[in-house]
This record gives sequence, C-alpha cells and structure tokens, in this order.
Amino acid sequence: MLDPNEFYDEYPPERLEDELPERPISSLRGIQHLYGRLYTLATAGGGDYAAYLTPDQANDLIGAEESLIVVRVDLSGDRPALDADEPVKITQYADDLIQKVAHCKYNAARGIDHSVTHRSGRNSDPEKLARYACERLTKWATDDVVQDVADEHPDGEVIRGLATVGEEESNLDRIRSAVKAELGGSTTALLTVQVRREASVDYEWPGDVPVFNEAMRARKLSKLVSKGQATNSAGQATDLISGERTRTVGTAEDPLNYFLGKQMEKFPGLDPDEAWRSHPISEDGAVTLMNAEEFVDACSYRTFNADVYYLPYFLGRPTPAEAYNLYAALHSVTQADDMGPVQTLYDELGDHEANSEGRLRFYVAAVMKHQMSRFDVYGETLNGRIHYPTEVGERHEQITGSWVFDENDDRNRNRTPPMPSHEEWSLTTYQDFREMIGSGAYLYRTFPFTDEDTDATVDDERIDVHVSILAGDPVPRTQLVSAYVERLLDRDGDDVPELLIASQFAQLCALENADLVTTDAGDTESTLIDGPDYDTMEPEHARTDGGTAALDRTEKLESFIEQTDGLDDPERKGAFLLGTLVGQVGTYQQGYHDRSTTVIDQYPIKSMTKTKVKRITQEVIDKDVVYSREMAKKGSNINSTMYKEVTNAIVETMAGNDPSGWEISTDDLRFYYALGLTYGMNDRSTNKDDATTDDETTDESPDTNE
Amino acid sequence: MTEHAPAGSELPDGAETCLSFTVSGPWGHFRRIEGNIVKQTYRVIPRTTVAGLIAAMLGIERDGYYDLFAPGESLVAIEPTSELRTMKLPMNTLSTADEHMASLNPRGKLSIKLPDPSKPRQQHNYEVLVDPAYRIDVWLDNDERYDQLRSLLESGESYYVPSLGLSEYLATVDYHGEFPIEQGPDGDTVAIDSTVPEAVDSIVPDPETRYQIEQTPAFMERDDGGRTTSAFVSYAYNPDGGSLTFTDVATYSVDDRTVVFT
Repeated sequence: MLDPNEFYDEYPPERLEDELPERPISSLRGIQHLYGRLYTLATAGGGDYAAYLTPDQANDLIGAEESLIVVRVDLSGDRPALDADEPVKITQYADDLIQKVAHCKYNAARGIDHSVTHRSGRNSDPEKLARYACERLTKWATDDVVQDVADEHPDGEVIRGLATVGEEESNLDRIRSAVKAELGGSTTALLTVQVRREASVDYEWPGDVPVFNEAMRARKLSKLVSKGQATNSAGQATDLISGERTRTVGTAEDPLNYFLGKQMEKFPGLDPDEAWRSHPISEDGAVTLMNAEEFVDACSYRTFNADVYYLPYFLGRPTPAEAYNLYAALHSVTQADDMGPVQTLYDELGDHEANSEGRLRFYVAAVMKHQMSRFDVYGETLNGRIHYPTEVGERHEQITGSWVFDENDDRNRNRTPPMPSHEEWSLTTYQDFREMIGSGAYLYRTFPFTDEDTDATVDDERIDVHVSILAGDPVPRTQLVSAYVERLLDRDGDDVPELLIASQFAQLCALENADLVTTDAGDTESTLIDGPDYDTMEPEHARTDGGTAALDRTEKLESFIEQTDGLDDPERKGAFLLGTLVGQVGTYQQGYHDRSTTVIDQYPIKSMTKTKVKRITQEVIDKDVVYSREMAKKGSNINSTMYKEVTNAIVETMAGNDPSGWEISTDDLRFYYALGLTYGMNDRSTNKDDATTDDETTDESPDTNE
Repeated sequence: MTEHAPAGSELPDGAETCLSFTVSGPWGHFRRIEGNIVKQTYRVIPRTTVAGLIAAMLGIERDGYYDLFAPGESLVAIEPTSELRTMKLPMNTLSTADEHMASLNPRGKLSIKLPDPSKPRQQHNYEVLVDPAYRIDVWLDNDERYDQLRSLLESGESYYVPSLGLSEYLATVDYHGEFPIEQGPDGDTVAIDSTVPEAVDSIVPDPETRYQIEQTPAFMERDDGGRTTSAFVSYAYNPDGGSLTFTDVATYSVDDRTVVFT
C-alpha cells in the first residue's frame, strides 16, 4: 500500500479529482465506496481491473524463497503443450511481479481464487502444491464462468489451450514431478501460469494477457449475484452509489455485513433473488465496496462486548485535499499496531476538525454479532464528530481541576476538597480525557456492567450513551442517573464506593456543561441541568483571614451547594445533606468510638427511599446530638451541636418541604444521597476542627491531637 | 446525475397550491436499505414513504401509485417538526421467508399469507423513531386525485390506516389547509424549514446548529417483476427540528414557511 507521500506523488490533485465520487457522501455505502476507491488506488492502482485485484493478499510473500510457482504453457506450436525445457518455474515473488500475476483472492474453504493465479495455504507440502499447480489447467481453465469468457473473447484460444494441456495425464505427471523435484520442502506460494503465444516472443504473464483478467473479472462478478438462496439476483435499476441506471447486483458483500443473509423479519416478501431491487449496486460499485474491508476493519475496535466501527469521512463531495487527509489517516490506522484506531484518527485528523466547519464526521456503529446471521446494531450514527468528545473532555478537566476535586487548589488551603480523588481513578483526576471518551472507556468506568449471557438483545445503555456522546445527541438526565445508581447498587458489600461516586458526579457535570444532557418535558424531576461552574468562587466566600475551622466547613459546604446547580432543587439538596450528615457522623463513629457498624452501614444507598427519608433524618440528627453532649461532657470547648452547618441546612431545607411530600425519583434521591455520603466521608477535617480537646480518645485518633 | 431529482428547480405548470398536513405518531420505523440483517431507520420519512402513505389514504393499491408521484407530476416538501430521536426496541419476529408462510383460506377468493405463529420467535433490535412528526406539503398534477386528497384531509378520512413505516405504528394526520405556493425569500442566504435535497455543500455552518444528511429513496417505478427505486436523494436536515441556512438554493413559501420541494 502506498504511503501518503507516495499516494500524493502517484495521484496529484488533478488526477485524484477524477477518481473521487461526484456525488456527496451521505450514506454508509458512500463512505465504504470512497474507502474502497482509495484502497484500490493505493494498492492495485488505476486501470479497468484494479478494483478486482487483491494485491495485498500476497504481500507477505514478496521476497520469500520459492514463493512463486509458474506452469509454463507453449501455445505457439501446432498443439498446446508444456514448455519442453522448463514446464514449471519456481522463483521468488517480487514487487515488479505484482501487476503481472494479477491475483484476485476468493475466500472459500475449498474454492480456487478468481484469478488463474492462486494462493496456496500456509506452508503447503510439495504434494499439495503440485495439485494446485495442475488445477491452474484442470480446474480454473475449465470453470464454467471462465469457459463462457473463452467462448466470447477473441483470445479465448489461450484459455482453451490451458484446458487442452490439462486433459492429458502425462502433462499433469510432468508438472507434479517438476514441482516436487524443484521444491526444497513445504512453502507458501502463489501458483500461476505463463503462456507463449508465438514462437518469436517471450512467455507472457497473465496480467499482460487481457483474456485472463476478463475471466477473473467474470468469476468475481458471478459471486455478486448468487449467494445462499439467491441464484441470479441482478437487474436494471438505479445504482444507489452513483445514481446511474445500470445493471445492478443484489448479493454484493459488504464489509460490515449489514445486508447479506436473511433473518426473521417484520417485512414480508423479501425474496433473495430480488435483493437487487431493494439494495441496487452496480457491479463495479459492489466490487469497490468489498475493497473497503481493510480500512473498515482497521477502524474498528471492541468495547462493551461489541465491535465498534469508527469510520471518518468528510461530509459532502470530498475535495482532493480532504481525500489526502482521509487517506493519510486511514493509512496510519492500518499501520498502527500499538495504538487504538480512535487515538490514531484523532491524532491524524484532530487539526482538520477545526477548519473543516463540521464536515469531518465519523460513521459510528456498535455491532453485536451473535451468530453468523444474527447481528444487532446497538448504536449508530453518521454524525460523530471529534468536537463532542473533545468538548466533554475539556469540561471534565475543568471539573476535576477545580477546587471541588483538586486538593492543591488554593481555595482549599488545608482542608479537604468536597470530592475525593485518586490517581488510579482517572475520572477523578486531571488529565486528557478525549481518547477515553472516544473509545468508550469513559462510560465503562461509571455505567453498570451488563451480563452478556442473559438476553443478548437487551439494550446496552453504555453503547447507547457512547454513540450519543460521539454524535452530540443529548442524553436524558434520568437515563444517566439511573445507570449510575444501578452501578452503585451492583456492587458487592456495603462500603460506600466514594471514588466511583465522585467519578460519576464529575462525568455528569462534564456532560451537563457540554450541553449533552436533556430532561423530558413531562418529567416530574427538576429540570435543572445547568452544569456547575467551579472556576469562580463567590467573593464573599473567598476568605483570607483564616477564621475558625467550623466556619471553614460552613463556607465549603455553602460554596459547594451554591455552585452545584443541580442542588438548587430543594429535594436533591435535602438528599445530599442527609447523606453528608450520615457520612460525617459515621466517620466520627469510626474515629472516636471505633464502631464496626456505623450509620453509614446502617443506612446504605440501596435502602434509601422517599418514605424513609424523614425517619432516617431524625435518627441521624438524634445521634449527632447525643455525640455532641458526649463531647461536651468530655470537656470539649464546643457547646453546640456537631456538624451544625449540616443540621441547620437540613432543618432549613426540610422545614418548608416535608420529605413525605417529595416527588423526587428514587434514583435521583439515591444518587444525591450517595453524593452527600461521599462529601461527608471526605471531610477529614471533622475531628480536628470540632474537638480540639485533650480527651482520652486522642490515642486512637491522632487527628484530634492539637 | 440525471437520475437524481433537481433541487429547487422550476415548478411544473399548474403547481399553484399545495395541501399541507402533519403526520405524527408515537413510533416510526423507515427501514434503511443498507440493512437486512440489521434494522436501522431513516431519521426523515423518505419521499417514497410519503407517497405510499398518501396512496394509502387515497385507497390506491401497492405498485399502483408510482406515476402519480413521479418527477414533474408531483411536488413534496418534508419538514421534520419534532426532535428526531431514536431508541432500540427489541421485537419478537417470525420468519417471513416464503417457505415459512402459511396461507389462510388458500382456495378462497380472498387469501392471505401469514408467518406460522406456532414457531419460536427470534428477538431483534429495531431502531425506532420516538414521537416523530413531519409536516408535508404536497401537490399532485392529477387534479382528480388532488381534489380527492383534499376532501379526505378535510373530513379526516382515509381508505387504509395511515402508519409510519410499519403497520403497527399508527399515524395521526392533522390537516392545516390548502396554501398557495409562492416564491421564497430572496437573499444570499436563506433559512429553510423543510429538508433540502442535494444541498450539503450549500449549507452555511453555524456552530450552534447541528445539521445532518441522509440518502433515501425518492422515486419509484414499476417493471415486469416488481418495483425499483428510480432515484435516490440526499437530504440535509436539522435533527433538532429547526431550520438550516443555505446559500444559492431556490425556495418556495408555503403558509409563511420556507420550503424546498422534491
């Protein structure tokens, strides 16, 4: 395959212009056709037969010992015969022979290749290779389709000559013994023929004798109309790629295999022989589509148990400049072994996103292949753009780089930030998220796992949301929150997955800020989806005078609630505050009382429901009051309630809005409760700040030692 | 290129008014032709489907209406009026291959073929449109059919049940009235409400507005063995249900909306 520079030299803009489609790219087939055309240009070159040849199928044999076995037939005498001196030549396949052998591979278990040139199986023994050599004359030359071409073509004599030689057993014996005698052992080889048509000229290769190419072409085309139950699916119709009226074929292979094969249907009357009516493609178009396979496969990767195809293209009629960029990107994806296609494509095409005015797009499809004939497409779009994952990535970095996550942010001074972060939890740290979003890893970390063994046609939400993000389609907020909560509840054990919750929260904020979250109009949920803006801090909260620790905590809580727009909703705020109090009291219980069972274990996320909110709130506040008295008895200089800022806020929030009347969904309630737990548990300043005493628990809790 | 419909060209003689109505429903599925194994849907109702839908309202049989909707004989403008959202719907299906179809009342005058309901189902994901709605403006050269369609729309009647792609996705038809077709607004750039055929390279990009494109069958014709699509058209549309801005596109004005006919 030509590298991008060679490609440019071989096809300068004026020449490439002629090879590019006239119609704008607006369908999957259009993209595949363009890929197939670029691939053909880069491998077999131009010319009438280029699209039919498969030169890349023998690339590995170039320069290998004993990699080309040639049966030489002399047609210049009275009767066709094997060459008297050298009936079989065994040599090295080389670059300059690619065009000459004109190989066209056919993938079939026991079949022969479409061209007279045939590729042997890997490491075939001399016995087998001898048989393949004979089959050039006995099988290929006598093939029905090839014979039909011979009958029509002015040079048909050449093919009939091969067949005649193959009829005589003594000739075949000579071929067999020559192959065995000359070969050193097992090898992988191309097997082909050479013919001498006149005594005065040299032997010619099949690529130089048009009738061979014509027969190869006919064999390849014959497979476009018969496959499975279809025997002759062809007719006059409008080619869906070029728009021209022409002979169209119905059973063309498609690198994505969306069309071939029949499975149970809603539509009656789909007849395999009539397939060309519903999916009409010209013969040349069909062959070009098949040539897209290498690029299409290179642009695919596996995620969420599905094959995801990520095919870049420029919307509209591609210009030569765009075609060079596209070719360079596709070429590097085929060459990149150590990098995923998404990263490679982003690296190659990232710069063009900015100046293509949205023309650079990706066809994205997640295909689940259950069996040969059972495919499901789980998510698909023609409108993926680098812009969207880039945007989400930048928003995510803004969130995790802000004071809410970043311990080192000046605003946090010596207290902990609202949310925990850990380098092993990449969604809580500050880094480049774009590729993670493009590949799907972004959702893998926050969404529920689906069990692939259960009903396989159930929607995998990760794919759904993944494709939505790539295409810039907003996702309903309820879908995100319910997926997050499902993942939280999926876990074994009752400990609170703080870093997972923090990851989910950061993701939700990033998606909201990237305008990729929507709410249903009829939803009873709050429609507040404006993402937070953690970059600015309200001036009145930006204290510089130190102040007391308790006030610091109040200020942190107020700032967090105020800047998290989702918490403007009083019910979510109530759930969050309850979680915060449980988190803080639980952490206190653990630190001061060495309790193995704390309120955090007592009120796990999965037990939280609307009907329980009121009772649990009262119980936890009661506990808080008891511990506060205990502390006071022990001589603490604090003579009010611990975590006063939280209890006050709870009272304030719930007083005017009794939890018994809440309309919040259980998922939303649990998500914000979990967020509160995470906030409360991450507040490690608790002990030190509230209990600056010399009580006897100091030994177990070094934090209290001041 | 000749097989493709001209974009915003001259109106045929006699095309002075059009009938305007909205089709909508909770679900829709317009099977994409690339898929047989997979069941994906177009986002915008194809012109051929609009023709079939109107033919169903008029009570015309299958394969009996392609001339009525041929180029030059008809004008159709399609405007998505809802956000074009899809979801996957797993559906249980039976084989519809010929050999698996059983005939009911095979010797009678009326005979019908059905899949064998005793066979096990296979479940497949169908991509379906959720709450799709399209405003359709249509003119037919055939006066008799045009008048018949108008009176059916006025009275809210239909011969066959209108549906959106699959018979189980019933459609609601809301008639807006008959409107004159007038020249669209002049100017270098123009905001167009309907989908715009073959104009992807004329879109004026706006970072705030999403635009997408899809190629769908536009015209069909009959031959001895059945029907084929005689022309495909690529439509540009706004997936969020608003207008798009173009340069150099001839437009028409219908009921104060700017549309392009195909």
